[in-house]
Amino acid sequence: MKIQQFKDKITTINTLTLMILSMSFPVTGFTEADYPPPGDFQRGAKTWAENCGRCHNIRAANELRDDQWISTVFHMRIRAGLTGVETRDVLTFLQGSNTSVKVPSTTSRAAAAISTLSGKDVYGQTCIACHGENGTGNFPGVPNFTNKDGPLVKSDDVLINNIMGGFQSPGSPMAMPAKGGNPDLTQKDIQKTLGYIRKQFAR
Amino acid sequence: MNVKLKVLVSAMGLMLSTNALAETEVEKLRADVDELKKEVQKAAEWKEPSTLIHMSGYASIGYSSAENANDSFTAGGFSPIFHYQYRDLVMLESELELEVEADGSTKVELEYLTIDLFINDYIIFVGGKFLSPVGQFRQNLHPSWVNKLPSAPPGFGHDGAAPVSDIGMQLRGGFPVGGIRSNYAVYVSNGPELISEWDGSGFELDGVEAEGKNTDQDNKKVIGGRYAILPVANLELGLSAVTGKATVTSVEGTGAPALVNEQVRDYDVLGFDFAWQMKGIALRGEYVKTKVGDATAGTSASAGAEWTTWYTQFAYKFLPTKFETVVRYTDFDSVGTSNDQEQWVLGVNYLFTNTVIGKIAYELNDGATGSTADDDRLLLQLAYGF
Repeated sequence: MKIQQFKDKITTINTLTLMILSMSFPVTGFTEADYPPPGDFQRGAKTWAENCGRCHNIRAANELRDDQWISTVFHMRIRAGLTGVETRDVLTFLQGSNTSVKVPSTTSRAAAAISTLSGKDVYGQTCIACHGENGTGNFPGVPNFTNKDGPLVKSDDVLINNIMGGFQSPGSPMAMPAKGGNPDLTQKDIQKTLGYIRKQFAR
Repeated sequence: MNVKLKVLVSAMGLMLSTNALAETEVEKLRADVDELKKEVQKAAEWKEPSTLIHMSGYASIGYSSAENANDSFTAGGFSPIFHYQYRDLVMLESELELEVEADGSTKVELEYLTIDLFINDYIIFVGGKFLSPVGQFRQNLHPSWVNKLPSAPPGFGHDGAAPVSDIGMQLRGGFPVGGIRSNYAVYVSNGPELISEWDGSGFELDGVEAEGKNTDQDNKKVIGGRYAILPVANLELGLSAVTGKATVTSVEGTGAPALVNEQVRDYDVLGFDFAWQMKGIALRGEYVKTKVGDATAGTSASAGAEWTTWYTQFAYKFLPTKFETVVRYTDFDSVGTSNDQEQWVLGVNYLFTNTVIGKIAYELNDGATGSTADDDRLLLQLAYGF
């Protein structure tokens, strides 16, 4: 009896210890500042694509840690004359795209809501910032969907796998984040979106 | 003691000792957990700081082969940039510039040092020594990993037509005008000082020291700024202007009389700039004119002078390869003709990464005969932005 109680205590302590350790060392970043307030990921992608290349080569989101991006983007707010809203949007985009080990959720309430969207809706909300309205890419290095030898020559399985896990095309300044940076997308959303992309842009 | 009693006593002893062992282990583990809790608490404090400390910057190394000069390897410079940020309210920014001189000594300069207050979404207060917001090159393009060529356009360096830095206060930021993005910078500062040259019989204006001075020798402040709009994405059009007073504070040439009762002169700068990107193309240009007025009183009384420079640069990236070509034309006109320079530069870059760039460029220079401004140069550079 006593030995069993002892084992139970040990198990409880081990569980608590693991919980504490798992809380203390999340895999998402070096520091997790609670500032600035979050911005809009999609607007951030557009602002990033249209502004960062004005002066220098665009830097990939995974070049810096999330906390390093805070100081870097605030520095760039001063240099590039960004508004506060644009600054927060770009920061949210870069931190959200810095996602090689972030596991997107697929079971959230938002996921259920967005799964009713069409492929066109998803493209317009998530993909358009980098791939552009006409699928040719909004900035240098983004693959051209309308190119006969472009990414659409790959099979659906390969492309869906690339979109689900994130992918960097040769010559692209940064990797496409997993699910285009929208963790709420389901595999069904992505299949519909790929169908829309093929229908609209494949040559 | 019968056997049953012995067994009972032994069993009780075993239970007591087991219980004692369990309690000891539990106490030990409890102490370990308490220690872990403290460490977690410390780690959490460290993980969620209100102050961020960040270092970035850039450096370059190179090789220079010029007409009428020895071919040389060069350590272009090391420019660490420090950021200390308190939440989203304040940021201290500072860049040092470390360079190896021709004699092997090391020169250290404070390129800029500002404390920036993020007042609201549209206004940032910038105080201290700041890079001149006139045009684009000095404030945004001079870092070696940003500049697509190994050298600065003539007239945009430390003794050219475009102001380099100043000490004062600045408001800057961005705001939309209708559906168009725009950005601005306005400042008041100590302003530049002037250099005059003594030729043995008289004075002539020789240069503008437009780098931040910690004292205002003539007690006359300068105001200036830049406003730019982006009518469409990836196109920026900027207009810059500065006005104020400046005074001669130093003289070049031997045997010059000491400066007495120098008269303040008008000081005005006007600039235009543009930048446009489309796919692999990047086209940009700038024009800057600095004008200093006459002085009729004081030791160095002389006529006014003008310094003008402009450049246009075209760059093309051969995607998806890592090669890029660059062409730049610059025309710099200064007082007299000794520093005048017309320059074509042809360059090819290889982007090891987006911030590590290998450059090879050839400058075709046309300046005063016999001067370095007339020597063509082959330049190699490896630049690293970090």
